[in-house]
Amino acid sequence: MISTAQDLHPAPVLEPGRTILELRGLEKRYPGTHALKPVNLAFKSGEIHAIVGENGAGKSTLIKLLTGVMPRTSGEVIWEGQPAALATPHEAMALGINAVHQEVVLCRHLTVAANMFLGEENSRFGILQQRAMVREAQKIIDDLGFDLPAHVTLGDLTIGQQQLIAAARATVRGTKFLIFDEPTAYLTRKEADQLFTLIRRLKGEGVTIIYISHRMEEVFELADRVSVLRDGTLVGTRNIAETNDAELVKMMINRSIEQVYHKEHFTPGATILEARNLSGKGFEDVSMTVRAGEIVGLYGLIGAGRSEFVTTLYGRHKKSAGEILWEGKPVQVNSEHDAIKLGMALAPESRRDQGLCLNLPVGLNLNLPIYKRISSNLLISSAQEKVQADRQIADLRIKTPSRGALASSLSGGNQQKIVIGKWLAHGAKLFIFDEPTVGVDVGTKAEIYRLFGALLSKGAGIILISSYLPEVYELSDTLHVFRRGRLVASHGFRAASHEDVLTQAIG
Amino acid sequence: MSTEVIPVEKPKRNYNVLFGLTLLALLVLLWILLSVATTSFATGNNIANLLRQGSMIAIMAVGQTFVIITGGIDLSVGAVVGFATVVVAMMINAGFPIWLAILVTLLVGVAIGMFHGFGIVKMGLPPFIITLATLTSLRGIGLLMTNGNSININSDTFTAFSRNSFIGVPNLFWMVILVGIPAYVFLHHSRWGRYLFSVGSNAEASRLSGVNVQRTIYMAYTLSGLCAAFVGVLLAARIGIGNPTQAEGWELQAIASSVIGGTSLFGAVGSVHGPLLGAFILATINNGANLLNVNSFWQRIITGALIIIIVYFDGLRRRGK
Repeated sequence: MISTAQDLHPAPVLEPGRTILELRGLEKRYPGTHALKPVNLAFKSGEIHAIVGENGAGKSTLIKLLTGVMPRTSGEVIWEGQPAALATPHEAMALGINAVHQEVVLCRHLTVAANMFLGEENSRFGILQQRAMVREAQKIIDDLGFDLPAHVTLGDLTIGQQQLIAAARATVRGTKFLIFDEPTAYLTRKEADQLFTLIRRLKGEGVTIIYISHRMEEVFELADRVSVLRDGTLVGTRNIAETNDAELVKMMINRSIEQVYHKEHFTPGATILEARNLSGKGFEDVSMTVRAGEIVGLYGLIGAGRSEFVTTLYGRHKKSAGEILWEGKPVQVNSEHDAIKLGMALAPESRRDQGLCLNLPVGLNLNLPIYKRISSNLLISSAQEKVQADRQIADLRIKTPSRGALASSLSGGNQQKIVIGKWLAHGAKLFIFDEPTVGVDVGTKAEIYRLFGALLSKGAGIILISSYLPEVYELSDTLHVFRRGRLVASHGFRAASHEDVLTQAIG
Repeated sequence: MSTEVIPVEKPKRNYNVLFGLTLLALLVLLWILLSVATTSFATGNNIANLLRQGSMIAIMAVGQTFVIITGGIDLSVGAVVGFATVVVAMMINAGFPIWLAILVTLLVGVAIGMFHGFGIVKMGLPPFIITLATLTSLRGIGLLMTNGNSININSDTFTAFSRNSFIGVPNLFWMVILVGIPAYVFLHHSRWGRYLFSVGSNAEASRLSGVNVQRTIYMAYTLSGLCAAFVGVLLAARIGIGNPTQAEGWELQAIASSVIGGTSLFGAVGSVHGPLLGAFILATINNGANLLNVNSFWQRIITGALIIIIVYFDGLRRRGK
């Protein structure tokens, strides 16, 4: 089959406002859990319908049912007036239901073009028309206004750019119903804007968009309607013009928004760490101090050098110039091991790739940094191992059947608690949190922020990296702004406006 | 919360135990069937023979399992066994004391394992490649050293060891216990054992948690090399010769034993009792097939089928959980 961009991307002739998909008593039970209680909901063509709720509220279950990844327990799905079984992903796609997932599920080793046409390759007599595909892919990408090359290997792009490609891919498949699951979790503001443009354009073409996000301002920016799930129940659906942050948060967690960013102020103590004119790969001439009892926030776009700066502090990369002082003394940090010995702890950005041993028990993950302490010579005290793990699970309120459950079986928020929590028993003095609340719901966020307070009260210092401005803004005692590898501005607690900080970061 | 947490660890442990028991049941079932089907199986001689044969693969499989848990593979172990028979034979024939010959051979195994660690950690080679390279070159080095001939070992004390028994059990089987118990303690009750699992599950997360990933990898391959060299000593004693082409294909039997014993080739899943049982199941199948006059070609087919069946059912169970 020889296809062109045109026939892969037909303008859907959908009448806006007509019900395209209706859920009637849709329900899912797993052994032991009632993941989705009977839901009745109708989606209209050409609407952007946001779904919000805490982790474990049933959002993922709903997506899985709609995309045919899992069978439903009971209820009906009516697609364009006809009952649909939605038993396989293939069936869902054939109807025109597609999803863009939070983590990119494409082939990193293939080119952008190959990924765009994966499964629908353009070939002549069995020979792939590679150049034609690159041309077409490039046309689609340009058309969408993304400034990205189609011939490069996908893995060479940033995660954010890969996410845009994943979104672009979904648009070329005659999609009528497109689900975005936390699409902006790893995007810069600019990339997010490009994505929003794409989403609005699809809406204009009559495509129904389901938009799942933890970020309220995105929901208000994009959505026409919003539905709230809590504990597997549909709590309610609102027109976006008739609701506000406070109401939605209240519906989601039964708790007010002030309680989320709960900031405790401590009198800063002695300086724990000082960077003097530190340079390295990706950043230049950065100086800052972290004192006991304070949160130092690093804000900037992805690629601004924040992560590179902290990984250099942590001994992952070599510094090229400058000095690191620990409690006033110059130190050499040549490896993560050195950093940990000094008393640093890093909770990395990507919990799947860097933070967790997913196919090992929760208890082992929690104890990993402290096995030296809970073993004499080489032999592990299994009593200590159990006590430590159980204490952490209780302290952190990790929802797990037991310490023996595999980390992969936990929800994202609970996994994140492990990534952070494993350092609590270690007793580090300086904690570096790199994007600690990506993909985490409001309730878990509040718990994580409370943990920060607990660490500070014990005399620790925190470096907090986040691409999410409200988070660094509301929590940082000192906020440093990075732009293109340099520290361009520093502010005290709430000393500058959001707009100023954004401007400084974008430059 | 903690009261809710304590009693529930059982499922996973149960599963491990259950899998071990299933393998054990399979082994016993095979033994019962063969005892009924043949007159020669349940004889002292045959059982001793079976234990001797299974023991050597079992010891290799334990070393192999450490490597596989880190997410690697050690293809060199068969060649290391062959090479070790040459080293120990040459040293004994050159008049060195037996203990010294054994010690040096074991150190050669350690050195080979360290070399693998070096190749993986410092040169960035995939484990498959570096150990494949050693597999072919060690055979070559051994052939050069011996001019392609077998070396007859001229020490009866040395060769007698593998033929003798202690309280009715062949010495070679005692060696399995000698290796197995420390290996069990190491893997399941020591810090370094935990690190093998964590590195196999997520090396980056382990590094960020302060685990010395490089050392852990060195350790796994060194232990595998050590186990293989030890098997080389046992094999030299058993056949009374040093020959670099011995133990052809044993690496695959060791890997098969490990996998049958529940080790995941993706890393982070494995035990010590599993590969031991796996090795004796394979040895029993081979032994039984011989006694039943099954064409030896069939033995290979059966082994292959068994690997598929056991790993398939194991995978089903894990997913189903």
